[in-house]
Amino acid sequence: MSDSKIIEVQHITKRFKGLTAVKDVSFSVREGGITGMIGPNGAGKSTTFNMICGYYPPTEGRILYKGQDITDKKAYEYTNMKIARTFQIMKPLKNLSVLENVVASAYFGHAAAKSEREAKERAMEILHFTGLYEKRHILSKDMGTPDQKRLEMARALATKPEMLFLDENMAGLNPAETEAAIQLIRKINESGVTIFLIEHIMQAVVSLCEEVIVLHHGEKIAEGTPAQVMNDPYVMEVYLGKKEGANA
Amino acid sequence: MSEKRKAVRTYHRNLAIMLGIMLLIFVCIPLFVKSPYIMNIFVLVFYMSTLSMAWNLLGGMTGQNSLGHAAYMGLGAYASCLLITKAGINPWFSAILGMVIVGLVAGIIFYPCFILRGPYFTLVSIAFGEALRQFIINSTFFGRASGVGLPFGRDSWLNFRFGSKIPYYYVGLAMLLLVYLLMKKIERSKMGYALRTIREDEDAAAAIGINPTRYKIMAVVVSAMVAALVGFFYASYIRYIDPELMILSKSTESVLPAVVGGAAFVEGPLVGGLIMIPLSEFLRAKYSSILPGINMLMYAVVLLVVIRFRPTGILGWYMHSRVKTFIDTKILLKPPVEVLEEVELAKMSGKE
Ligand SMILES: Nc1ncnc2c1ncn2[C@@H]1O[C@H](COP(=O)(O)OP(=O)(O)OP(=O)(O)O)[C@@H](O)[C@H]1O
Ligand SMILES: [Mg+2]
Repeated sequence: MSDSKIIEVQHITKRFKGLTAVKDVSFSVREGGITGMIGPNGAGKSTTFNMICGYYPPTEGRILYKGQDITDKKAYEYTNMKIARTFQIMKPLKNLSVLENVVASAYFGHAAAKSEREAKERAMEILHFTGLYEKRHILSKDMGTPDQKRLEMARALATKPEMLFLDENMAGLNPAETEAAIQLIRKINESGVTIFLIEHIMQAVVSLCEEVIVLHHGEKIAEGTPAQVMNDPYVMEVYLGKKEGANA
Repeated sequence: MSEKRKAVRTYHRNLAIMLGIMLLIFVCIPLFVKSPYIMNIFVLVFYMSTLSMAWNLLGGMTGQNSLGHAAYMGLGAYASCLLITKAGINPWFSAILGMVIVGLVAGIIFYPCFILRGPYFTLVSIAFGEALRQFIINSTFFGRASGVGLPFGRDSWLNFRFGSKIPYYYVGLAMLLLVYLLMKKIERSKMGYALRTIREDEDAAAAIGINPTRYKIMAVVVSAMVAALVGFFYASYIRYIDPELMILSKSTESVLPAVVGGAAFVEGPLVGGLIMIPLSEFLRAKYSSILPGINMLMYAVVLLVVIRFRPTGILGWYMHSRVKTFIDTKILLKPPVEVLEEVELAKMSGKE
């Protein structure tokens, strides 16, 4: 089990009207683990993520999930396949309470709740688990970024995924909140969920991921353990370059 | 813990009593009100609020603004009238057939526009109503511009035909209640959550496993079927229909009660209908003879004030108002809405 690949991405390319956002990228995600993807802004991380999650299809290439070709699956078919995702730009159901946000998710996917009671009970469990319980009656639009990020995760978890995709779930958090998020992600992984995450915060990547993929200008430039990747000369160059650019 | 449960139970009981009394008042009104004019306003409130509930399933719950509800209502009225007059089918049965026909038509017409996102649905709903009206005006089978009449005759439940307004009052009230219960049921079901998720964000909906097209079609079909039922009721009540039934301004009339009462709430169209429809009738009766059009102007002013100051409608205001706190604490005795659901929480924490 520990060596089986849950996701295999084979030579995917995405072109947006002339702009090639992702170029011939291949990698795989090990079942049961936490795999990370890093790279400077605009590297094509979210685009890769969106293709894998069926938000839009790749221009070229194939995506396999447990050996099955899912390249052409629609976004709404994913939770039935036990795959869930979050969005980098959060999409809370603004005018619904936090509880209702999560209840809605519990009604769908492969383990869809059969009744409102069941959906609510699962939602409550997940709200406890993600630390949102006390805020369950607040409208989700009235919460700050850290809580909305948690809510993104709670909504994904309520569909009972085996494979969870997280797109910059820690962006905009302070160190304490980041630490809490890291603990939460580890807890989710320990409960048996394979995780693929995009993250800019290195501290999180290093402490969570066993395997890291680096994208730059739409191409995969490195992969390996966090230590291997961080010591890669090209990666260092790209990252230091980016940091200077960001500070200027 | 059991104290809390007891408090919630008392609250529920008192709420039931209060609603029961309100219902009883409505049931008793025909015993005291003898004026056909006033009775007519009540019947109008019942069927227009029901139509507005149908609209609200799409406009309020799903976030799809329809301007074609007069058309579904009109088509439902025509379908059932023609089934009665041309095919000799019993009115009650024609009502069901009419609903099925209108549901199918709406599903087929709107399927393509739900695959696309954006304002297509609203535009097509306007075009649909207008096209249908033109078609009927030019069709001999549909009676052209002169319309279709239903036969008069002795009072009969079998033929849903009465000289007095009282039976229509009760049937209208029953229709309103049944549709309300249906909408309440939908709101709390899987479908209701799907529709509200779609309203908030289609991408988020798809990400949790909702097929937006499928649920939007379901919503439009149910909504159109309810509108068709209202059409049948209207035709049986007025006993005459013509293509004017489908003009755009009638569709807007179906939107107003929901928007004024609060489109986010299943109860919105009821509250809005109870206020706006008598108001509109009152203004018409009182002022239209003094200065024609002034009633519409005053109506528009009221509407603008409500929409400007209460974007979420009257119920949106009520839910956070002191009036509600007062009613909760003094009449229903304590548990605020939030706490209603504490019973479930108690069960959950008992589990841990
Ligand atoms: N829908 C789209 N249409 C056109 N161009 C797009 C679209 N989505 C992304 N792009 C472009 O593709 C490139 C890669 O974007 P992407 O969002 O994948 O980057 P990213 O690695 O996620 O960056 P960030 O760290 O800022 O989130 C960018 O140049 C972006 O402008
Ligand atoms: Mg991104």
